Amino acid sequence: MRIIKIELPLKSEEIKMFTIRDKLLISGVLYTARDQAHLRLNQLIKEGKPLPFNLADSALFYCGPAPTPPGKVCGAIGPTTSARMDKYTPLLLENGLKVMIGKGERSKEVTNAIRKHRAIYLICVGGISALLSQTVVSCETFCWKELGAEAIYRMEVKDFPGYVAII
Amino acid sequence: MPSLRIIPEKQVYETIIDAIGKIYCQSTPETITLINNALAIEEDDVAKDMLNAMLKNEELAAKEKLPICQDTGIVVVFADIGNQIKIENGPLYAIVSKAVNDAWRKYYLRDSITFEPIRCFSNHIQNPENSQQSVILHLSELPGNKLELHISLKGGGAENCSLLKMFNPTTSLREIEDFIVDTVVSSGGKPCPPVLVGVGIGGNFERCAILAKRALMVPISPSEKKPEYKKMEERLLTQINQKGKGIQGFGGKTTALKVSILSEPCHIASLPVAINIDCHAHRCISITI
Ligand code: SF4
Repeated sequence: MRIIKIELPLKSEEIKMFTIRDKLLISGVLYTARDQAHLRLNQLIKEGKPLPFNLADSALFYCGPAPTPPGKVCGAIGPTTSARMDKYTPLLLENGLKVMIGKGERSKEVTNAIRKHRAIYLICVGGISALLSQTVVSCETFCWKELGAEAIYRMEVKDFPGYVAII
Repeated sequence: MPSLRIIPEKQVYETIIDAIGKIYCQSTPETITLINNALAIEEDDVAKDMLNAMLKNEELAAKEKLPICQDTGIVVVFADIGNQIKIENGPLYAIVSKAVNDAWRKYYLRDSITFEPIRCFSNHIQNPENSQQSVILHLSELPGNKLELHISLKGGGAENCSLLKMFNPTTSLREIEDFIVDTVVSSGGKPCPPVLVGVGIGGNFERCAILAKRALMVPISPSEKKPEYKKMEERLLTQINQKGKGIQGFGGKTTALKVSILSEPCHIASLPVAINIDCHAHRCISITI
């Protein structure tokens, strides 16, 4: 198992250097997005409307954080099941999405789309929230606050661990 | 006629808050032992790395009182109520529900409940200021003057991998075991393996699902179990782990830490089988008041 430190955003040329099962220690900005955020992002793209953040070269973390306790940078964080986002992922990849972090397998269609667009899917261990929250430098609600845990959060991380699953 | 033992509302309320306070930041001691055992036999470097992360997380979470997983899920409570007690005020659901909501604020747990399951039916989604937790409460009556509470925080990812099937009564044991093994293995990394597998066999449609959940949550002594079922549990565990899905579905020797079966009589026309999966973040506690 190779351990490689990386900085976001990632370019396709960098992604080429990794192999399956590499452990990446990720630093940079992640946007969280779960089911409802995916639905909305897809609708906006289909209607030709602007997205709340620049999808090109961005990294999505399938995560709904817990509330931040006083004195902490963020609440508990961790991946949710990626397969629920499969239906919405190819369109996001077509629009420039490069990095996805979640847990579990992806559909054939998503796997193909990831390869076609030279993107990368990383899995991160579920159920290790205390450990993961230590890698968070800052975390704030970015948009769609009314969705609660399903809002989009902007999360800056340092050495956040992910394993290369699809490339 | 023995007099009824009155259990004060406050005692039930505080017991539940304390119980949630214990489990949100730690898997059951048995689960932690089983993860340690899995690590001891693991050879795959990524699987070892992940198991180590789980154990480190358990330590850190317990020490810092942080949730072991951000998904503290939906609260499931089995309340086994002695027939010689009366819970003051009540109803029990209201006490449990208030305790759960207050525990959620106290420990900064995530609101994961949508009150409208079909989301397009309601614009009201979640208002973090006043959102409510919902509680699944299973009541049953026992002889005696005790109140037994079995409490679990059950995440959505593992719950989604559960399955129920109404088999024909002549279905072979082999077919039933294959169904259970396939259900766990085909879940892959989705339920955050290593998992615990609860199996309910018999009863009827809803009862076998409840048995599967109870099998995950309520410890029973090995002597209470028929040897046939004990052997079946061992066989299933071996078969699941032989398939090699492994830690987080990323390979390794252990996919499941434990299989627990509960069975009950059923109709001669039926053979209901339900599988309920829980992740390594297995947050359960049993308390007797
Ligand atoms: S399956 Fe369990 S460990 Fe994984 S995210 Fe859900 S609650 Fe957490």
